[in-house]
Amino acid sequence: MEKNNKNNIKETKTDKIESVQETKKVKLSIENITKTFNSKTVVDNVSFDVYDGEFLSILGPSGCGKTTLLRILIGLIKPDGGTILKKGKDITNTKISKRGMGIVFQNYALFENMTVLQNVEYALIVNKTPKVIARKRALTLLKKMHLREFENKKPYELSGGQQQRVAIARTLALKPDIILFDEPMSALDVSTRLELCQELKRVQKEFKTTMIYITHDQEEAFTLSDRIMVMEVSKISQIGTPVEILKNPANDYIKSFVCDNLTNKINNLKHFVELSNEQN
Amino acid sequence: MNKTNTLSIPQKKHWLKQSPSKYFEIFLCIVLFSFIVVPLITMLTKIDKDTFSRVFSDDLFLESLLNSFTTTIAATIISVVLAYALAWAISRTNIKFKTIFSVIFTLPMLIPSISHGMGLTILFGNNGIFTRFFNTSSHLYGFSGIVMGSVLYSFPVAFLMFVDIFKYEDYTPYEAAEILGIPKHRQFSSITFPYIRKPLISIIFTVFTMIITDYGIPLSVGGKTKTLSVLLYENTVGQLDYSAGALIGTFLLLPAVAAFLFDLFNKDKAKSSFITKEYIPTKNKVKDTFGYIISAFVSLFILTVIVSFCLQAFSTSYPSNMSFTFSHIKRALNKASIGYLDNSIFISLFTAFVGMIVTFLTAYYTARVKSKTSKFLHIISMISLAIPGLVLGLSFVITFKTSFIYGTLVILILANTIHFFASPYLMTYNALNKLNENLESTGQVLGIPKYRIIFDVIVPQCKHTLLEVFSYFFINSMMTISAVSFLATRSTKPLSLMINQFEAFNMMECAAVIALMILIVNSIMKLIIYLIKRKGEKYVNKKSI
Ligand SMILES: Nc1ncnc2c1ncn2[C@@H]1O[C@H](COP(=O)(O)OP(=O)(O)OP(=O)(O)O)[C@@H](O)[C@H]1O
Ligand SMILES: [Mg+2]
Repeated sequence: MEKNNKNNIKETKTDKIESVQETKKVKLSIENITKTFNSKTVVDNVSFDVYDGEFLSILGPSGCGKTTLLRILIGLIKPDGGTILKKGKDITNTKISKRGMGIVFQNYALFENMTVLQNVEYALIVNKTPKVIARKRALTLLKKMHLREFENKKPYELSGGQQQRVAIARTLALKPDIILFDEPMSALDVSTRLELCQELKRVQKEFKTTMIYITHDQEEAFTLSDRIMVMEVSKISQIGTPVEILKNPANDYIKSFVCDNLTNKINNLKHFVELSNEQN
Repeated sequence: MNKTNTLSIPQKKHWLKQSPSKYFEIFLCIVLFSFIVVPLITMLTKIDKDTFSRVFSDDLFLESLLNSFTTTIAATIISVVLAYALAWAISRTNIKFKTIFSVIFTLPMLIPSISHGMGLTILFGNNGIFTRFFNTSSHLYGFSGIVMGSVLYSFPVAFLMFVDIFKYEDYTPYEAAEILGIPKHRQFSSITFPYIRKPLISIIFTVFTMIITDYGIPLSVGGKTKTLSVLLYENTVGQLDYSAGALIGTFLLLPAVAAFLFDLFNKDKAKSSFITKEYIPTKNKVKDTFGYIISAFVSLFILTVIVSFCLQAFSTSYPSNMSFTFSHIKRALNKASIGYLDNSIFISLFTAFVGMIVTFLTAYYTARVKSKTSKFLHIISMISLAIPGLVLGLSFVITFKTSFIYGTLVILILANTIHFFASPYLMTYNALNKLNENLESTGQVLGIPKYRIIFDVIVPQCKHTLLEVFSYFFINSMMTISAVSFLATRSTKPLSLMINQFEAFNMMECAAVIALMILIVNSIMKLIIYLIKRKGEKYVNKKSI
């Protein structure tokens, strides 16, 4: 991990590294994952790969099983069947904290009784990192997330966007190589969202983490992602790059609810821009 | 990509291979079941067949039943209306001294019910201050005395519940009504009433149950008017007729069971509605004046009762010789009351500790570890809400009389913990439910052991609730005279029961001393909790600057 980090720094210095996707190294391999709750199949025999360093969005209607799938990946929910391989190693039954994954929830789940700094260093200290090193690492992360001025504040004194930054910093503290996001922006206003999205891309580049990102928002998915996975009730209906999905939507649902929706939005915006230009 | 079909299916865990946490949850279920449900069932099975005819054919039973209902209904109505008015004065007017008023209003919650009856006797009894001052005869004993005492005893609880409701009422609909020009009286019927309807029913049930199951007040000021609770008390504590007691106890159980069922089938659906705007009382002279009058009047009355205890306790022979003396205090203390004070404080502290821990653990499972077992645990906990103290005490006697814990302080601590379990449990349950649902998951992902998340994150966030729970158990254990009256022996008797004894021998001075002692101890506890909380807040404020 330490080595990884050093590489990162070098790479950011040399800048302009071509998308990691080129190499297409498989990071996570999900095979035939199934989960049933009270005789209702929520994730139905799902298989897909996640590439090293990519940003994969999961898009789908409410209740289709996105959260369940994400929780299965990290181990918070045990699947009824199927295998999860990380770099070829079966981690289906590996302890959650040993999977090298982090997760950021929609409602942040910060430790409200601790300061921002304590939130970030707490897990390090519990995991036996010497206090001085933990503090240093936490401060570095806070600086990277533009949170240094809030380090002694309690989470409830921060805005939603700032709280989400703390949650991200806390996750980064343990240096996971995969970070999962469950609709992390849906409680935030539009401008904060845009800002945080850019931040996320920056973090991803800098730390070379693989990111799997659940969202409801097509725009978000199409602008952020290397690839998008569209889910319909308990199954994957398509997985591909934004361009691929726009060009060849796999079925009518994707065409109307994902592609057309997005095109309409863009057209509407264009229309407004043209109108305002005319008026000027 | 070659997707192999190797399904590694995790088997459902065998029950023997559960985690320690699961074992502990099952253990909690068994403990609560044994001390809540089992005694109740044991008690019900102990009712002999011929008891039915014996009890029901007794005119005294029917008379008591009727008295219980009439006094309780009257007292409930007055108590709820008074509590609403006071809560309204505190929450919806601009009067000053709100904190002081609130503290005075809740003082009656710190002393045993029987001492309210005693206070009324001192003021309005045959030898009462007002009776002598106006030179009339006393009309206290009987219906009016029971109603007055019951109101005094129960309105603070209703007051606190109303204040809580007012606090969370949204101001926005009122603003809209103002703009639309809807008149005030229509605002009450169309905005306020629908909002308070459901909690109002809860409050009425709570007050009704509190009053009908209390025997302290009818015993001290009922005179010839007997109620069911007094009948139960006399049958069991006096005549040791447990079978009759159990049957009467079943009747006392009914209102609480009704309340319990009502609550169960009327889950608050609008629970998640949050205030968008806090209510700001408008400036209104008439409202404020009314607020002052009612608050001042009630405060004066409560303080008069407490002052009357002091007069009784510190004057040589009230009311003929008003010279100051310590002799009653000495006499009261000589009757080994100091030992009883020790008992009480020991019992209360222990109950507070045990109660707080059991409450937290139970609520933790039911609020944050959702499973079939935890649902069962929740139901058992809620059942304890429906058991009046007298019935609980009786069921404990019947069940544990032959066991080794009978006659020890342990059974008193157990009985108190169960008796006062439901309210703190619900408080903690609500507090834990409000915490972010992903805290434990976050801990798991970050490799933080669960017990550390509980102690480092969850407990600190519920600190205030836990302090409240501690003080609730302590104060109620200090003042209770219900369940413990069946279970205490000469050596384990708590201080509060001394009031019964002194009252029975008409030693009002000594009874007043005891009531004051309990009031002082409980006030100190309240103060300590208040200071700890304030210190915590200051700390928070300092940190945030
Ligand atoms: N623990 C559980 N027990 C029973 N059913 C569950 C459980 N968790 C999820 N479900 C059900 O599984 C289905 C999928 O839930 P999931 O939370 O994965 O959906 P989602 O795609 O994340 O939806 P959303 O976009 O609303 O977050 C839902 O119908 C939900 O009710
Ligand atoms: Mg979800």
